[in-house]
Amino acid sequence: MSGKGNKAFTKEEELLLQDFSRNVSTKSSALFYGNAFIVSAIPIWLFWRVHALEVSTSLAWFALVTTASTWLLALAYRNTKFHLKHRVAVRREDAVAREMTRKLADEKKMSRKEKDERILWKKNEVADYEATTFSIFYNNALFLTIVILSSFYLLRSFTPTVNYIVSLTAASGLLALLSTGSK
Amino acid sequence: MVTKYILTIFALAISGSLAQSCKNPQVEAASFTSLDATIVTQIAYITEFTLKCDNPLPANYALYAEVEGKPLTAARIAENRYQVSWTEEPSKARAGVHEVHIFDEEGWASLRRARRSDPSVTVAPLLAIQLQHPGSYSGPWVNSEVLATVLSIIVAYTALRSKSMILA
Repeated sequence: MSGKGNKAFTKEEELLLQDFSRNVSTKSSALFYGNAFIVSAIPIWLFWRVHALEVSTSLAWFALVTTASTWLLALAYRNTKFHLKHRVAVRREDAVAREMTRKLADEKKMSRKEKDERILWKKNEVADYEATTFSIFYNNALFLTIVILSSFYLLRSFTPTVNYIVSLTAASGLLALLSTGSK
Repeated sequence: MVTKYILTIFALAISGSLAQSCKNPQVEAASFTSLDATIVTQIAYITEFTLKCDNPLPANYALYAEVEGKPLTAARIAENRYQVSWTEEPSKARAGVHEVHIFDEEGWASLRRARRSDPSVTVAPLLAIQLQHPGSYSGPWVNSEVLATVLSIIVAYTALRSKSMILA
């Protein structure tokens, strides 16, 4: 939610546009990439300690797969957040409006329009925050489950290197693909 | 005439062996069993015992052992000190008291003779040692990977459920 806006739009329109845009703020983006990186790097431990993958010879693979998986997961986070945000906003609308109205009740000087604007802004903030955190949780949970299932059961008979590459790319790729769907 | 001689020799042999056998045996035993089955392929049972008799024993006094129908030889590791050991598959190793029956040469021979006609017969041993095996640890009840899978599926299910609730 950057303060800078296009001059052709009013503040309310700008907020509305931001509400419906697929773009995320820098802060949100950093959160997504940071989280995606951590979650993509965690399986290195699993493959190194549990699947006995030789670390020194697989460093290039680690870097490559972690990068790819980070990018794919961040994409999945963004898309999931985009789909969830409106629904969350609709669900929280009444509660946020009620709370903000109570909070702004003392502000006699504030105009009706500004109050509405504040409510809209708060609604956007709440929905954004909730959708972001839920999207991270949802994708992380599914990613780690797919990695565990495929590495322990589906790809058990393969060498650890193949297991690592396929498990991680398949998990993050699947999530990125699923997140582009409407449901 | 020949028969008479043989009988005499036999009687001498019996009296000789009787003289050799342990009178009023007293035993002090210590034992060891494998407790961790995760790092071994066989469970080992070892019991070491010191035999004390009222009469002095010959230097090469041999002892035999039988554990649950399994014939064993007691190894002589020092003067009047013997060791009986055997191994078992971890799946067959039963927790609890294992009775080690110790026989001297004569008792062992009579046991073998009796067994020839009736394989289930028991002969009173010279002494019996009770070896306690508390059971061995063969890894956790639930594999860590199974646990990890179950937990991750629960978390994933929660995530999917809450997402469908939000989208509903």
